[in-house]
Amino acid sequence: MLERWKIVLLLSPALVIIAGLFLGGLILGLIGSLGYMPLLGREEFNLNAYRNILASERFYLSFLLTFYIAFTSTVIASLLAIGAALILRRSFIGRSVINFLFQINLTVPHLVGAVGILYLFSQSGFFARLAYEFEIITKPSEFPALIYDPLAIGIILQYVWKEVPFIGLILLANMQTIGRDYEAAARVLGASRWQCFRHVLLPLLFPGLLAAAMIVFAFTFGAYEIPALLGQNYPSALPVLAYQAFTDVDLNARPEALAMGMIIALLSVIMIFGYAHLARRYVRS
Amino acid sequence: MRILPAVMCDLEKELEVKRQRIESGEGLSWLTWFSLILLISWLILPLIPLAVWSISRSWFFPDITPSAYSLRAWSYVFSNTSEVLPALGVTTLIAFCATIVSAVIGVPAGRALGLYQFRGKAAIELLILAPTIVPGIAVALGLHVVFLNIGLAGSYLGVLIVHLIPTLPYMVLVMAGVFANYNPNTEAQARSLGASAIQTFYYVTLPAILPGLLIGSLFTFLVSWSQYILTLLIGGGRVVTLPLLLFNFASAGRNDITGAISMIYILPGVVLLLLGARHLTGRNSAAESLRQI
Amino acid sequence: MTNVSIENLVKLYPGRSVPAVKDVSLLIETGSLTALLGPSACGKSTILKMIAGLLAPTSGDIRFGDHSILRLPPEKRDAVMVFQDHLLFPYMTVAENIGFGLKMRRRPKAEISHAVGTMLELVKLDGMATRKPNQLSGGQQQRIALARALILRPKILLLDEPFSSLDANLRLEMQQLLKSLHQEMGMTMLFVTHDQEEAVALSSKIALILDGTLRQYADAATLYGQPEDLDVAKFFGAKNFIPGISSSGHFECALGRLTLPVTANSNGSMLTFRPENVVIGVTDSAENSFHATIESKKFLGNQTQLRLSKGGTTFDASLPPLIAAPLLEGSTVSVHLPRQSLWALP
Repeated sequence: MLERWKIVLLLSPALVIIAGLFLGGLILGLIGSLGYMPLLGREEFNLNAYRNILASERFYLSFLLTFYIAFTSTVIASLLAIGAALILRRSFIGRSVINFLFQINLTVPHLVGAVGILYLFSQSGFFARLAYEFEIITKPSEFPALIYDPLAIGIILQYVWKEVPFIGLILLANMQTIGRDYEAAARVLGASRWQCFRHVLLPLLFPGLLAAAMIVFAFTFGAYEIPALLGQNYPSALPVLAYQAFTDVDLNARPEALAMGMIIALLSVIMIFGYAHLARRYVRS
Repeated sequence: MRILPAVMCDLEKELEVKRQRIESGEGLSWLTWFSLILLISWLILPLIPLAVWSISRSWFFPDITPSAYSLRAWSYVFSNTSEVLPALGVTTLIAFCATIVSAVIGVPAGRALGLYQFRGKAAIELLILAPTIVPGIAVALGLHVVFLNIGLAGSYLGVLIVHLIPTLPYMVLVMAGVFANYNPNTEAQARSLGASAIQTFYYVTLPAILPGLLIGSLFTFLVSWSQYILTLLIGGGRVVTLPLLLFNFASAGRNDITGAISMIYILPGVVLLLLGARHLTGRNSAAESLRQI
Repeated sequence: MTNVSIENLVKLYPGRSVPAVKDVSLLIETGSLTALLGPSACGKSTILKMIAGLLAPTSGDIRFGDHSILRLPPEKRDAVMVFQDHLLFPYMTVAENIGFGLKMRRRPKAEISHAVGTMLELVKLDGMATRKPNQLSGGQQQRIALARALILRPKILLLDEPFSSLDANLRLEMQQLLKSLHQEMGMTMLFVTHDQEEAVALSSKIALILDGTLRQYADAATLYGQPEDLDVAKFFGAKNFIPGISSSGHFECALGRLTLPVTANSNGSMLTFRPENVVIGVTDSAENSFHATIESKKFLGNQTQLRLSKGGTTFDASLPPLIAAPLLEGSTVSVHLPRQSLWALP
């Protein structure tokens, strides 16, 4: 009995703040997206905002673009991270230096990476200049558009740049926990290097990889500043569209902004539960 | 921004790792080296033009390197008339306060989650984990109206409070990991030897959790330091932090000043990495705590 | 069938100055059940891993029959290892675990499932096929690990302390199982243990490894009764060590001129005999008999230990408690050391 009160006492400040701010924000967003905004003089519930955005082509294009960006960058980053982790866990000369360099952009904010990508890949950027130097192009506009482009290559490059070390380190930590014994057991049982990776290491890493990929997907789906800096205007990424609607002089756009916020939140919640479900079914040890 | 929570490697684990490294003593083939170098270069490459831009005077297409160098951008950044120094102060202050508040509230919560098993623990962990995954824009859009109404929108306090949404859960998760490896019996031992509750905390608990707390605090600082959309939405343009300034200069095409601000902006992270690089590669990670769902 | 021979094997881990395995040569006969015995960290597991292909030796050779296997990767060696922690793949069912090796060899599904069924019966776990490893007890898990290796019918089965994480009763049960499996399948098995009782109970031959060196390779009785040197004797629990000189079948020491068995070392300088072989009170034979004083007496439950002294030299004898009961501290008794119980160490 005493211990229970102790736990309640220890937890409640944090829970009050997190529930108040986080759940509160989500609930207020939900209510607002349903049109109920007493502070703006609206006191009725309706689904107009959802109806409006679901009827607009702009929303669909934004949603698809955002999904495509998030999915592509997560998959590419995961694949590269697996490769990097497989190399970095081996021992070789200079490993500690390489390890440090591998982690260096982990603490670099996304925005800085985005600016760096901009200076590298814009049509007057470093790679365009290199192309000019080697006489591949004669003027900036001949360099393929990788920034503000419909395929969002600049955005994806930025996310991949930032997320490979993140996923890679999670995988390395997982590999360290798993150890090499399972692989040794598989090898003596007749598995080749590839079979060993495919049938033993990958399944063991799978929950960790899935969790990391899910975090990355949710983040890339809801990030504002990177597509705002590197993305094209139409269609824009969903968070950018939501922000634009929110700051629109027409207050009628505000419930629509909140509705888009809800859709972003919903997707990340689906991610969390999807992961939890998969992980539970996959391994329970 | 998300970062791996820091980790305490106990000596034993480190020795074990060293042993494994020695046992598996294998080199890399040249192809592996090539792809490794390629990857690492790619990871560092975007930072280089920023550094070069910050000291260039003119760098026009198609020059590979600047045609003239100067410290113009840096002297602008440090001049009294620029907004950079005030923004640096504001960013630091908010991050510092968010870290302190998160530590004061997060350490007890981390202790409860790390040391005790109780009904509803999984649900509470999920609630604490969720804000680190659900994008901030979805939450901040909803909070904005209320913050506006009670006068927090556009204020430093409002931005500080909204920064707690990512920082506090982060600190709780880190401290839960620290307390999971902590033996509370040492406290009982101290009490039986005559220490008061406060003495016990100061002489027994604090020293034991201090390394984890420090690293956790540094990362929490960085989480607040990197916030963009929360500051933009709740600060409403009146609270100008470094990332907001950086974004403005970048979209205005002032590449030299953007480069200089970027260099200042990444500094705490790089310092932190230098301090805590050893602790980063450990077992506990954001994903590890996700496994508890 | 082929013998497995290890020739002048050396393993020096990078960054160490002393090799973990120093020049070990060993011939493991086809169909034998051999133990590599030694204290922990003596290099025995390293030898096993080198045979399995998980570690590369610094020098030396390992041959299956006439062929060196050093250049083969682990999966091609046909030497399967069972680890101390069962290392069952947690995300696979019991059946999938047992069938893993055959699946890696791309055998047809029907063949695999039939073989798995047979194996499950053999280790007495039929009906467990669809369970996950974490639903099994420690003993069951280790049996699955055994089955997973046996199903491949390797040229040699390597067992690295397979039962040391089990409790005492379970360990005996598993030893029985392993012994009967060995008899049934006639497979060559090499197992590592630090437990001399386990080594003695299971194996036909024991290779004693101390500090990375092979010290003696013989059957259990020889290791107990005729250790090659003092270290071997001490490892097998010998107690009494009396210095002296051996000459022409006799040993001159503080206990007198004792007659040695005919097989004894000719140039011994240390006499050893087991406390349980000391005969007290009955002196039919004049050979190797003398009087000694009981210095102290200790009751140890299933036996009583006497410390005896003669001419300033002390030695231990152990007797059944009932027989030792009338013997008093300080009294003099007649002692007989049967010739066959004596052994002279160099």
